[in-house]
Amino acid sequence: MSFEWKYVRAPLSFLLKAIVLMIFIFPFLWMISTSLQTFQETLTFPPTWIPSIPQWVNFSTAMNAGPFLTYARNSIIVTFSVILIQVLVMIPAAYAFAKYRFAGKEILFSFVLLAFMIPGQVTFIPVYLMLADWGLINSLLPQILPFMANAFGIFLLRQYFMQIPQEIIESARLDNASEFKIIWKIMVPMSMPALATIALFSFVSHWNDYFWPLVMTDSAAVRPLTMGIAMLRETEGISNWHIIMAGNVVLVIPILIVYLFASKQIVKAFVYSGIK
Amino acid sequence: MASIEFVNVTQSFDKNVIIKDLNLKIEDGKFTVLVGPSGCGKTTLLRMIAGLDPQTSGSVLINGKDVTRIPPGQRGVAMVFQNYAIYPTMSVRENIEFGLKNNKVPKDERKRLVESISETVGLAGYLDRKPSTLSGGQRQRIALARAMVKKPSVFLMDEPLSNLDAKLRVQMRIELIEMHKKLGTTFVYVTHDQVEAMSMADTIVLMNQGQIQQEAAPEVIYRQPNNLFAAQFIGVPPMNIAELGIDNVMFGFRPESGVLSTEPLATHFQVPGTIVTREMLGSETIYQVKSEEQAYMIKCTEDRFVVDQEVYLGVEAGNLFFFGADENRIDREDGRFSSYLEALGGRSKVLVMRGQANG
Amino acid sequence: MDKKRIWEAVRPYVMILPAMTGIVLFVLYPVAYLIKLSFYKYNLMNKDKSKFIGTDNYTQIFSREDFYTALLNTVVYTIGVVVLTLVLSLIIAVWLNKRKRFNAIVQAGIFTPHIISIVSVALVWMWLMEPNHGLLNFLLKTFGLPGSTWLQNSSTAMISIIIVSVWQNIGYYTLIIVAALQSIPPSIYEAAALDNASKFQVFRKITLPLISPQLFFILIIMTIGSFKVFDTVKIMTGGGPNGATTTLVYYIYEFRTNSIGYASATGVVLMAIIALLTVVYFRVLSKKVHYQ
Repeated sequence: MSFEWKYVRAPLSFLLKAIVLMIFIFPFLWMISTSLQTFQETLTFPPTWIPSIPQWVNFSTAMNAGPFLTYARNSIIVTFSVILIQVLVMIPAAYAFAKYRFAGKEILFSFVLLAFMIPGQVTFIPVYLMLADWGLINSLLPQILPFMANAFGIFLLRQYFMQIPQEIIESARLDNASEFKIIWKIMVPMSMPALATIALFSFVSHWNDYFWPLVMTDSAAVRPLTMGIAMLRETEGISNWHIIMAGNVVLVIPILIVYLFASKQIVKAFVYSGIK
Repeated sequence: MASIEFVNVTQSFDKNVIIKDLNLKIEDGKFTVLVGPSGCGKTTLLRMIAGLDPQTSGSVLINGKDVTRIPPGQRGVAMVFQNYAIYPTMSVRENIEFGLKNNKVPKDERKRLVESISETVGLAGYLDRKPSTLSGGQRQRIALARAMVKKPSVFLMDEPLSNLDAKLRVQMRIELIEMHKKLGTTFVYVTHDQVEAMSMADTIVLMNQGQIQQEAAPEVIYRQPNNLFAAQFIGVPPMNIAELGIDNVMFGFRPESGVLSTEPLATHFQVPGTIVTREMLGSETIYQVKSEEQAYMIKCTEDRFVVDQEVYLGVEAGNLFFFGADENRIDREDGRFSSYLEALGGRSKVLVMRGQANG
Repeated sequence: MDKKRIWEAVRPYVMILPAMTGIVLFVLYPVAYLIKLSFYKYNLMNKDKSKFIGTDNYTQIFSREDFYTALLNTVVYTIGVVVLTLVLSLIIAVWLNKRKRFNAIVQAGIFTPHIISIVSVALVWMWLMEPNHGLLNFLLKTFGLPGSTWLQNSSTAMISIIIVSVWQNIGYYTLIIVAALQSIPPSIYEAAALDNASKFQVFRKITLPLISPQLFFILIIMTIGSFKVFDTVKIMTGGGPNGATTTLVYYIYEFRTNSIGYASATGVVLMAIIALLTVVYFRVLSKKVHYQ
């Protein structure tokens, strides 16, 4: 390694990293910039980097293009109901699979693993027909009920429970604690990291979900934000990018806020789910 | 306070029989130590008393009452685990009062009990801390406090000291003995460490392969071991055992009963040999003496010999033990004892003479 | 007392009941139902007019050209995404492996697109790829290169979609590989350094084998994930132009209302492909993968 190279290397590597970082961050900055431009500004060449006067009106135009309050409400209700129901269903199941011995346990658990591997893209037609039969298509339930058993979550939480020493549970039994109390006062507090991981994961994937609501809903009243934003192109015209980007910002902001506050946990959650 | 009784108890896991038709009575108020190698069934016994793994058949009686159907939390027993099993998300106070809360003890009473117990075990200043901020010794005390606060009639302890370092272990041993004296409750203590058993027990229950080998006070087990297993399990180094050469009988003696000398001795048993190793432990020295392919460990209070030195090893007749082909000890009163003793004495004379001739 | 014993025996089943209900009702039963539907000509308006037609749907699938187009498109997409993502994320991970503050920031930045809705990602990229006013063509022209029509041309639409998918997911796989790299004990590298191994040798003989379980895992989830691709296609191209980006799931989606039986049969084929991929991967690659 020559003398000069040694001094060039560090700044060069920094520059290269900065460029790579920009490749992944810039499209979002560009989205925000466009969302504040006028229609004319979106057409200029070279492009307008920073809008002369921020066009906040784009946001109200976007939000008035459809029942966005309903969309937002639906997204919030669906996401939080899914997380709540999943957690309530998952805890007892994971505990039973981790700490009890019972006939058929292996087979039943293999069902959980099987469910983990079968994607919604395969099952959506029969699930839709079934829920239509039950007359639920005009409610939010088709976006909630099918996710009540989070196979990945059950698997992860069971692993976590299995690592908790049996003696702690036995100690609690000797302290005359009921099984409910053992789960609620000991297992759940001890598994908070795993539960947070699973909940964050669910939040991100259900807030962002597009495919499932697309195939499960027939009316605007039950559609979520993702669908509303995707439809902006049809309602507002294909070339009104400043309006479409404004709607897009509204969709992205909640996730970005969560990411800003919990980036470490989210990164950890995703990596953890990837390695285990 | 309570006595504990096992009546024809069998315990098996998945057709794996750990304990078969065992009978044992643990006396009220005594410090009883269950000791034996790993897998001998001692922990299984303890867990049966606690009700954590109910026995497959037979019955367990606490204070004469069959507790088979009574769940662990209602048996009036407390248990201290090897890894302490502290609830990591609860503060020290919450850990100690968890059992009281579950037993619906009123709040004021709880507060008073927790504070007086924490005073006793030396955790007074730490009640609102999380266990993860405390040392191993302090966590051990949480486990003890948690057991004591329930005022159980039986204390069960499963190797509670084995996660502590050597110094702390010796200190805790003394504290446990004092605690037993103060509480006067039945203690059942499981360990694989015979030193712990010898130093703490009123009664030792020595187990091997699911069977009780001997049940006696420490000094009795040491001086009158029932069989080869007891003789070799208790004592460091274990009893020296060698073949007598008649009827598959073995003879043995404790390392401290051996006498070493550079000159032939007048003892009943005597062999010439060579010092192979020397371990200097401070107050005493342990020599390994090899004689005719047989190695003997000898414990001396004096440090007079060096490795490779030729010595005579002798043992007085009163310190010799004989074990029959069934591995049981042959009592002094037994008719065979004197003939075996004589045979050993005769052999010693021949060996010593041959040794002198060679020398 | 006996009541208590019965409760203790039943309790595990009660505790897993809600979860098992969800799994049976929304995964296992639908799979069976899907297979049944695939043998029917299903009438959505009047179920009684649905007709059992045996394997006709399957015969139809394998004789229709548009199915093979969709399958081929999916395969091309999958290979493109898997190869590009794997290679790029491996390079970036090795490059950003050192525990430094700036590296962590770059990693977090690269990861950001992964947690953003595919809807947003697709819309932003459509805007970037807009042929007349889009930023990408502006950049190309600035460097004196000809612009592209990107999504609006059947020869470049697929690669455009692949670029978007790779861009969105690279950060996730980079993070997994970085975690794998950092879990290699430094003593192994120190030993290699004492053995005078070159950087390339160390990477090929030590690093790569040690992270191969994670790479293997990535390969499986990426392949299966790519076979399910739908959202980007639906939003960015609607399967076009001229069916150039119609993938299997999009193909099923298009038939979902008018030919439920046919769509279901295609769904069964997709499921079979995913199952086959999983099995093949485990069989073939597990032999070559270093597990500790």
